[in-house]
Amino acid sequence: MPMSLNRRGLLAGTAAALAAPSVIRAQAEPIRLGALNPLTGAGGPYGPSMRKAIEGIVEAVNAAGGIGGRRVQLFGEDTQTNPDAAVRAARKLIDVDRVAAIMGTWASAVTTAVAPLCWESRTMLFTVSGADSITQLPHRGFIIRTQPNSSLQITKLAEFLGERGARNIFILAAQTPFAEPNRVILEREMPKYGGRVAGQVIYDRDKTVFRSEVDQALRARPDYIFLNGYTPDVTIILRELFRAGWTGGKVAPAYAVNQRLLDSLPAEVTNGTVTWAPSPDVESPAFKRLQALLGTNDPDPYSCQTNDHASLACLAIARAGAATGEAIREHVRQISQGGGERVTDVVEGLRLLREGRKIDYAGASGACDFTDTGDILTCPFRYEIAEGAKLRTLRIA
Amino acid sequence: MENYLVAMAVFAGLYGLMALGLNVIWGMAGMINLGLVGFMAVGAYTSALLTVRHATWPIPLGILAAVLVTATAGALVARITARMRGDYLAIVTLGFSEVVRLVAANEIRFTNGTDGISAIPGPWRGEVAPATFNLIFLGLTALAVLVVYLVCQRIRHSPYGRVLRAIRDDDQVTAVAGKPVLRFKTEAFAVGAAITGFAGALYGHYNAYIAPEGFVPLITIYVVLALTAGGTGTNAGAVVGAVLVVAFMEGTRFVVAAIPGLAAVQIAAVREFLIAALLILLLRVRPQGLFPERHIRHPVPDPR
Repeated sequence: MPMSLNRRGLLAGTAAALAAPSVIRAQAEPIRLGALNPLTGAGGPYGPSMRKAIEGIVEAVNAAGGIGGRRVQLFGEDTQTNPDAAVRAARKLIDVDRVAAIMGTWASAVTTAVAPLCWESRTMLFTVSGADSITQLPHRGFIIRTQPNSSLQITKLAEFLGERGARNIFILAAQTPFAEPNRVILEREMPKYGGRVAGQVIYDRDKTVFRSEVDQALRARPDYIFLNGYTPDVTIILRELFRAGWTGGKVAPAYAVNQRLLDSLPAEVTNGTVTWAPSPDVESPAFKRLQALLGTNDPDPYSCQTNDHASLACLAIARAGAATGEAIREHVRQISQGGGERVTDVVEGLRLLREGRKIDYAGASGACDFTDTGDILTCPFRYEIAEGAKLRTLRIA
Repeated sequence: MENYLVAMAVFAGLYGLMALGLNVIWGMAGMINLGLVGFMAVGAYTSALLTVRHATWPIPLGILAAVLVTATAGALVARITARMRGDYLAIVTLGFSEVVRLVAANEIRFTNGTDGISAIPGPWRGEVAPATFNLIFLGLTALAVLVVYLVCQRIRHSPYGRVLRAIRDDDQVTAVAGKPVLRFKTEAFAVGAAITGFAGALYGHYNAYIAPEGFVPLITIYVVLALTAGGTGTNAGAVVGAVLVVAFMEGTRFVVAAIPGLAAVQIAAVREFLIAALLILLLRVRPQGLFPERHIRHPVPDPR
């Protein structure tokens, strides 16, 4: 009989050992966060690394013991870059997984479609969408946007053009939703630097000849021409400007004048074209950690932003001591701005918060300081110039 | 969880309505319409523009206007495409839906462009808890599906429906029999479009937001799949097929989440693969759909 007793003892012991962690787990209900990224569809090139950037933060937090002893559990869904599919996915995250925050919506239409669900169910929404209208929604503070809106982008452009001595700017713009708003903002901003907007022509971007548009621009005798279009149309316009003997300044968004454009045109056509674009904070330790996490030297801006979404959500929950959308809404600005110890690492931030210190988080995407409506106050921009079919960085600031 | 199931039931109902509309046009009258999402967009935009952007009509009036406008649009498209059949009709209707989307994206003053229209009112939205609103809307959708289903059943079993089926099977023979084929085709198209526009209007009032990007051909494909899976030609098939498609799309979320060791992007890909595989399997096993059309034989009156 001692044998049987032994066996029984072993069984009880094993059961206890198995049961113990689950008892502990049951005591600490995990913190639930949601990731809603464009894994398929038009956003497919960005979504996967956006998701990895979020997962990296969640893993780091869990490896360091979670938030207040609670593990962070990430629930992920695919927007399919389609508002209809995204709404169903968001319903699942909110109603089934009961997440406190949804992070990383990309397309503006997707974000605007998902936003009412979030604020009605008091779930925080972190987004990288750029449309100005998003933060103007009646979201009651439940939206945080890390992507600079067009107002900030054009303000930075005006500042840059002012520094380069531009006084009279003509705009050649492709027909897009932001063409007209951009002109209005540039017209408002340029006088601060002693410049003005000489005029604008909006063109259909599928055209193959832009001779008359270029003539109209030259007739206004500008010193700078702002090519507010996309790569295919800007390629043609640059060639036509060169043929017309244009020697003045040319400026275009970095997504239009990219390496592909520079490779397709002779260097003398593109030389001297300057570009500007929002940039991640490449000097930040958070950016360097993200480089290592994603295994690339050049993480895209969206991944940098979602990396910060996850950090901000975790730190706000730690600061609040509660894992709800409202808690994040109330506390996200207390850990991201307004002074305190500067932190770029979520784990260090959690440690400092445990010690009762005040922190000011700045991440891979920049300072992460937000207005009352949820827009970022500022972010670094990268300014480049085309020289010999290559882009040379003028500065990042 | 309950809230989520209710929301998905609403989506299934709205897809079901569109499948019923498609069934009138395609299942009964035999006209392939791949421009379904265009009519959905016309309905959604009409009601949204009249209830929030350009006027503040009550919701029922907005929906009524949506039905009338889409019926007119449907009749117009049917007249324009009167000489087309089969693949050609499919391409032109597909083109119609893309034109609607591009107009919505570019007529910025009228439709607010790619920013879309937000804050579309819903019945008692904001006055009741979100879960209650969901339930109210499910009730409305269920009622709408029931009414439209009964109307479609009436059409199907009436002499009118018999003419539509005759046109579907051979419109020349029908014409020889003295039926005004073009009139029947136009009316069927208008009725089907009106039902789709009705669903589109409800869709807008439910989601509170519409944008051109939301009306892509993918939705047409969902609805065509729903009708094919349910059984082309039968109204019950349209509704059951829509429920099935939504169940496939949503159920796969939970299935793929249980697969260990996959990256997020792989999970998303497996899910899309699984949805496609399930539909292929269903159509392989039952090519005629779950509820195939049976010939309705009415008893011949005794000659004596």
